[in-house]
Amino acid sequence: MEKSKTMKKAPKQSGLGKGLASIGGYFAGFARDFAKGDIWVKLSALVWGAGSFARKQYIKGILLTVLEALFAYLLPVTFWPYMSKLGTLGTVQQQRVYNPETRKNEFNDYDNSFLILLFGVIGCILLLVAVILLIQAVRNARRVQELSESGKHVNSFKEDLADLLGVKFHRTLLSLPVLGVVCFTIIPLIVMILIAFTNYDRNHLVPAKLFTWVGMSNFNTLFNMTADSTFAYAFGRVLVWTLVWAVVATFTCYIGGILLAMFINNKNTKGKKFWRTCFMITIAVPQFVSLLLVRNFFADAGIVNTICKNVGLTDWLYNIGAIPTANFIPFLTHPTWARITIIMINIWVGVPYQMLIATGILMNIPNELLESAKIDGANAWQSFRSITMPYILFVTGPSLVNSVVANINNFNVIYLLSKDVYTTSDQLMANANANEVDLLVTWLYRLTQDQSNYKMASVIGILVFIVCAVLTILAFNRMIAGDKEENFQ
Amino acid sequence: MKKVVSVVLALCMALSLCSFALAEDVTLTVWVGDNQDIEWINGVIDNFKAAHPENNYTINVGVQTEGDCSKVVLNDPTAAADVFTFADDQFNSLMNGGALQQVVDGADDIIAANGGADAPVVKAASQDGVLYAYPATASNGYFMFYNKEYFTEEDVQTLDGMMAKAAAAGKYVGFPMSDGWYFYSWFKGAGLTMTVNEDSVTNSCNWNATDTPITGVQVLEALLEIAKNPGFKEANSDPFVAGVKDGSIIAGVSGTWNANTAQEAWGDNYAATKLPTYTVNGEQVQMSSFAGFKLVGVNPYSENVGAAMDFAAYMTNEESQMSRFEIRSEGPSNVNAASSEAVQSNPAIAALAAQAAYADVQRVGNKYWDPAAALGKIIMNGNPDGTDLQTLLDNCVAGITAPADQ
Repeated sequence: MEKSKTMKKAPKQSGLGKGLASIGGYFAGFARDFAKGDIWVKLSALVWGAGSFARKQYIKGILLTVLEALFAYLLPVTFWPYMSKLGTLGTVQQQRVYNPETRKNEFNDYDNSFLILLFGVIGCILLLVAVILLIQAVRNARRVQELSESGKHVNSFKEDLADLLGVKFHRTLLSLPVLGVVCFTIIPLIVMILIAFTNYDRNHLVPAKLFTWVGMSNFNTLFNMTADSTFAYAFGRVLVWTLVWAVVATFTCYIGGILLAMFINNKNTKGKKFWRTCFMITIAVPQFVSLLLVRNFFADAGIVNTICKNVGLTDWLYNIGAIPTANFIPFLTHPTWARITIIMINIWVGVPYQMLIATGILMNIPNELLESAKIDGANAWQSFRSITMPYILFVTGPSLVNSVVANINNFNVIYLLSKDVYTTSDQLMANANANEVDLLVTWLYRLTQDQSNYKMASVIGILVFIVCAVLTILAFNRMIAGDKEENFQ
Repeated sequence: MKKVVSVVLALCMALSLCSFALAEDVTLTVWVGDNQDIEWINGVIDNFKAAHPENNYTINVGVQTEGDCSKVVLNDPTAAADVFTFADDQFNSLMNGGALQQVVDGADDIIAANGGADAPVVKAASQDGVLYAYPATASNGYFMFYNKEYFTEEDVQTLDGMMAKAAAAGKYVGFPMSDGWYFYSWFKGAGLTMTVNEDSVTNSCNWNATDTPITGVQVLEALLEIAKNPGFKEANSDPFVAGVKDGSIIAGVSGTWNANTAQEAWGDNYAATKLPTYTVNGEQVQMSSFAGFKLVGVNPYSENVGAAMDFAAYMTNEESQMSRFEIRSEGPSNVNAASSEAVQSNPAIAALAAQAAYADVQRVGNKYWDPAAALGKIIMNGNPDGTDLQTLLDNCVAGITAPADQ
């Protein structure tokens, strides 16, 4: 990332403009090749292998034509039935009749809106791939034509294969990850985004019922606070808390981890390995186990409350007005207390990871820097502030951005600590099935799991994505500017 | 896709023709609610296989909590078990999602065995008079546990009496205030209603009405008094168990699932009865409740719907319900089983029977739970913001009755 930026000193152009221009160039190239090519090139648009056959690349020609046949079969036969219904997401509702003779249910040929959406999207993507392959076939045929006309060498199939392991090895390497990203990330993502524009909810559960497009109305629900919709209210509250949480949780763990690593790394500290092991134990226990246990410790009738009551802490807090009842400290049941407790527990869970990272970095700080600072008369604080901290920040900056984004989506800590324990006393939040300690992602989870409200969950999912994307872009642009390394040195 | 299906179907038909005279291989999956049910269900499966030698049954058992069953089934009904157990509050959701097979064979017998068409458990398993699920247990509701060491039978008639005794002893009466399932009992007891509409998704609720004999505001005033009472404590399941064990809770509202805990802690002093009356606007009002049942549903997408119905019927017949009572102490819904001596002498089940007169079949849309829990929480906190009680009720009812498209 860094290197490519410093090396490419290309004239500045906006990303979008560049993208459009290159797409335009691609199609123009196709048109030119098609127009100038001989009959075989033109025929390649119809039979992808034609150009290759003409230049005696028989295996390649056969492969291309087989691929084309595959598309020609899959698209109209398998995917078209779904793609053709994308406009309505299906019109035939399920009907079933029990047949007492076979003792089985008989179903009509009903539409499944979700499958229509899913296979429709896959079909559209395949269609796009087919168009690109067609263009590639024509352009490739033209290139080969040019080669053979100018008397240059035309690759045999064997040589093509060898190329894939040699000159074009990057393509071979990348093809599998790209395929994976398309199948497992891009397609589900598109489907999820599209659901935000449908009425897929409790009333429209597939396969028994159909759902359909509703345009922007779910976004209106989220942003327009009307008398009987409280989503806007809840969304605002949850978003603010999500951001506060992400920043606070990240920085407390970050600072805590660095301090801890420095204390342990200090040459006056005895038993370094012992201390390090102590803190590592929280990593060794699966997080959900320790979180559920801790939740029980901090319950209203839990062990921590019993201890606090016995030592008089509860009464003291009640007397100064910090808690509403004298019976227990509402560690996980009062909005403010719960937020503080959750952040504290997150520090306990998260600091060891940061400590590990910081330990590695501290060991790598060039010793001469610290020593020369010492000779110049810098005290411990000065060398920490001017050498250690900038160095750590420089190395961990990108991962800090990553942690903020990860904390925005920190499902485990919030969900496991508040599940079954926290009940909101904010009625407007409750009416939107949210609560004060919910992050966007836990709210989203409960909307899908408890309420089957997939449409609103998708809307929230899109917004989470936007928040994370904006944060990441801003932070990366500022933190990883290409000249930082020189600055530091 | 369709071609593949049709080829497979054709193959199946050919195969079934070949094996026409032979016993059919039938594979079923059944979900029970708890690991502790497995011993019981394995016994039922053995008996079922013995009673149906005409087919080769392979019956797989899975565990799926009854309280969450509908979520899992509705996520993908085609992948859910053929036969599943669920708590009756999910009947609406499952019906609405088209995930319950109508009981076709022997529905009249099943209705008769469970007390006729007007029996609450049959109503809980029916829509428009048609049976869609098999009644399995009748003990899934809640009632009052108490410790006879502290309370006489006279005391437990009124909540005031109980709280006074508890406060005098420095102990508590527990009630899960911020849980909509229990919170309902205060309002329904005072004659206010909340029920699901015909669409089986949205609710109607008159808790905020001002023209009822007892208004919602009066109920909230009463509840605020109760929440303040030194003998009263909010206690849902975990704190209830903890409080019973450490002796701080000497009475409380819960269900049969905590009967063993209470019995172990209190020994011979363990007792159970119907919910008490409480004071609203100067008069004593009997607390109502939700009657709770466990039902067995058959997945309409099952490959072997007929066999699944056979098994569901078998798993909920008198014999199976009796063995379920013996192994798991769950009260039978079957009338014959319920009238047996062993069942009658179980205090928890007797308490439920006494509460039955004041219990409603749960007909609740999903929008009810969170707003009701929030209101309960505010009451337990003593309404710290001093919000107007009518406003609290209006907000709550707005959430409960929110339209379906949100």
